[in-house]
Amino acid sequence: MNLLRIELHKYMSYRTVWVILAIFVSVFLLILYASSKVTINGKELGEDMYHLPELWHRLTYIASFFNLLFGILLIVLVTDEYTFRTLRQQVIDGLSRMELVLAKFYVALALAVFGTLLLLVLGLYFGLIYSPDSSFSAIFGQMDALSYYFVQAVGYMTLAMLFGFVIRKSGLAIVAFIIYSKIVEPIIQLRLPDTVDEYLPMKVLGSLTPMPGQDLLDQLTAPTQMLSPAWAALPAIGYIVLFCLLSYYTLKLRDL
Amino acid sequence: MADILDIKHLSKRYGSIQAVDQLSIQVGEGSIYGLLGPNGSGKTTTLGMVLDVIRPSSGSFTWFGQPISRDTKRRVGALLETPNFYPYLSARKNMQIVADIKGVSPQKINAVLKLVGLELRMHTTFKGFSLGMKQRLAIAAALLNDPEVLVLDEPTNGLDPEGIAEVRELILKIAAEGKTIILASHLLDEVEKVCTHVAVLQKGALRAEGPVSTILSAKDQIIVSATDMAEILRVLPQLPFVETYTPERDVVYLTLKEGYGSADVNKAMFAADIVLSQLSVKRKSLEAQFLEIIKQPS
Repeated sequence: MNLLRIELHKYMSYRTVWVILAIFVSVFLLILYASSKVTINGKELGEDMYHLPELWHRLTYIASFFNLLFGILLIVLVTDEYTFRTLRQQVIDGLSRMELVLAKFYVALALAVFGTLLLLVLGLYFGLIYSPDSSFSAIFGQMDALSYYFVQAVGYMTLAMLFGFVIRKSGLAIVAFIIYSKIVEPIIQLRLPDTVDEYLPMKVLGSLTPMPGQDLLDQLTAPTQMLSPAWAALPAIGYIVLFCLLSYYTLKLRDL
Repeated sequence: MADILDIKHLSKRYGSIQAVDQLSIQVGEGSIYGLLGPNGSGKTTTLGMVLDVIRPSSGSFTWFGQPISRDTKRRVGALLETPNFYPYLSARKNMQIVADIKGVSPQKINAVLKLVGLELRMHTTFKGFSLGMKQRLAIAAALLNDPEVLVLDEPTNGLDPEGIAEVRELILKIAAEGKTIILASHLLDEVEKVCTHVAVLQKGALRAEGPVSTILSAKDQIIVSATDMAEILRVLPQLPFVETYTPERDVVYLTLKEGYGSADVNKAMFAADIVLSQLSVKRKSLEAQFLEIIKQPS
């Protein structure tokens, strides 16, 4: 916990962190508000959008797009430590390399908690106001979507952290992270049979927040094979551990 | 005198460059140990290795007779190359982070900031500091855990003369408290003015090591002259404490054996009824001595 406290001291007055969090909250609210105006089949989605319990899936699916933002934030925080040479100073002052990685992992956890709590508050707010069904089961029945979102956010951020630790330069690390997650892995996915590619990291993380109505879509087109969120959670946690370990070995094998 | 730091055959290789080559030195308790060498001689690499941020290619070292660990780090305060802080945080908040990492009470922060003369600027952000202030803040951070050993890498680099004098004064003040100080520098007069022991490095290899008085302060030259030069040259060979003498136009350069000084020359000349018109001591320039050490074949 001391590690998290040290990290909080670093970021409380770091404007970049607050700006990125503010962007996340405001754009998320904007999308949430605007999406009720989306028309499907000539009918405005309107307040249907906010109906519980499906709202939890919609929220987490929308939120999944913002993981990129969180990932970039984590890359900035990790590469800053190289730029300011504070990583090296912290080792001189007594932290181990494992603690350096854990500290950033805790930051990822804290950001994921923040995101999850935000979704919880928004879900309850919009759900209780607009949802016709506000029974106990409607509110809590599918709330597990939030926990999958939490794992997904942590997964994205630990991958971003790994990119930061390996590449060290913020611009380069951000570009590599985006290219890997949006271009390289999707291409690999195309080349591999579905039974294999469903275990690739981005696909596993994506499976945690499936698109609402995906099952409907699958009936119309050729279904893309994905793990169910519950099944994807296990490999996702495995990847999180793996990314942390790889970050640790990167630090261990290198001069700081 | 117990060894604070014991380095054995430490080497670091970067590709084809041997940055540090089989370095073995011992730093005794209470000494001010200087690592002297030109830029690129392996001083920072050596300190980086013993401070756990650079992986040695081979060799080993111990602090206080133990391998490096969190416990040994707690007993050492160090700044390597540059002051490393978060530029957007105030001096005070940066120190808070260092205090948390070192597990020190934040109440100590004000005292060390006062010691380095930054107590009035502690709410200024680090990026707003001058180089001298940054350097002093780094020394304050190194002192925060009241370490037994202080490791300073080029602490006066980039400072103006006033800043250099301040930092040197600070080092001597800290050393007077009985702390061991390891100081890397490419400045000869800094090492000579501040240190008790010195290791001279060149291209990563140890060229000379020992107390500063024996390594750097080679024998002083004494210059004498008198109206009657011939008389001086007649007396000089008879004096047992004169090691060498070189006559040159109207002066003679002398070097004396250990334990003798210009007063002995004066006395002997007076006894021989020679009145000297000039008697002066000239210290051999440090640069000249340094080049001599470096030029010696290893």
